Amino acid sequence: MPVSARAEAKRLLALSLEGGAVSPERVGAVLSALTSSRPAHALRPLLRSYLAAVRRELARGEARIEHAGPLSSEQAAAVAAHFSRALGRPVRAAARRNDALIAGFRVRVGDDVTDLSAAARLDALARSLSA
Amino acid sequence: MTQLFLLAAAEQSANPAAGIVELFGRFGVDRHHLIPQLVNFALLAFVLYRFAIRPALGQMEERNRLIAQGLADAKAAEQRLAEAQKAADAKLNAASDEAARVLAEARASAARTVEAAKSEAAAAAAEVLRKGQAALESDRVRMLNEVRGELARLVVDASGKVLGQTLDDAQRARLNEAAVKELAR
Repeated sequence: MPVSARAEAKRLLALSLEGGAVSPERVGAVLSALTSSRPAHALRPLLRSYLAAVRRELARGEARIEHAGPLSSEQAAAVAAHFSRALGRPVRAAARRNDALIAGFRVRVGDDVTDLSAAARLDALARSLSA
Repeated sequence: MTQLFLLAAAEQSANPAAGIVELFGRFGVDRHHLIPQLVNFALLAFVLYRFAIRPALGQMEERNRLIAQGLADAKAAEQRLAEAQKAADAKLNAASDEAARVLAEARASAARTVEAAKSEAAAAAAEVLRKGQAALESDRVRMLNEVRGELARLVVDASGKVLGQTLDDAQRARLNEAAVKELAR
């Protein structure tokens, strides 16, 4: 049952995409169709798998930017555009300030992390000096 | 007895033949009984010789032969004893030589063993020394690396703190702009 639920959740996720991104309208339509077709207790495993799949897809389409100091919206958009081009799918920016990075920023898209912060460079310097 | 011979000699000097006869008669030799006495004596002598003297002589000869045999045996035994003694001496000498040779070999073997043990101990000591030096060198390198790493960490931490305290927002904004450009390259 869990395997088939994941497979069906994957199929439902494909129906929820519009232009390569998760569409709230399509998600709502999928959920309406599900709740009208089956009883709630039978939908629980499928809904969990669907929720996880939607979250993964949202994370894949979101560039979470941690930055030290100010980062303008243009700069965040440039970062998102860069990852959109690199990954071949639309990526939107979600910025959060973190001065522990000293300077620069760290971007996480899905499971990929790109760190251009001064803290990461200092950490790399420390590791190279320790080796 | 002496007086009897003197009396017989005195009478013999008067009538020698009569005296001799009388003398024999006094000894029981009668001319009438002389032949039977001789015969009897011969018979007695034969019987004695046949049944007493000859067996006795035979026994004596047998005893003499046994004694001679015993002497010969004793001599042979003595000779064999001497030969055995000689052989024993030879064997003893050979054993002594063998013992000396074995002792010499044992001493040589012991010397070789001692030398081998010395060499082995020297090699073991050298190995222990080498391992000790290697361990010391390894510890020294490890400590140097640890000190270097710790120093680098301290320097980096200090640099990070200094940078975090000295950078203002304008400088950080410029650095962020540079990072965006670096990302675009």
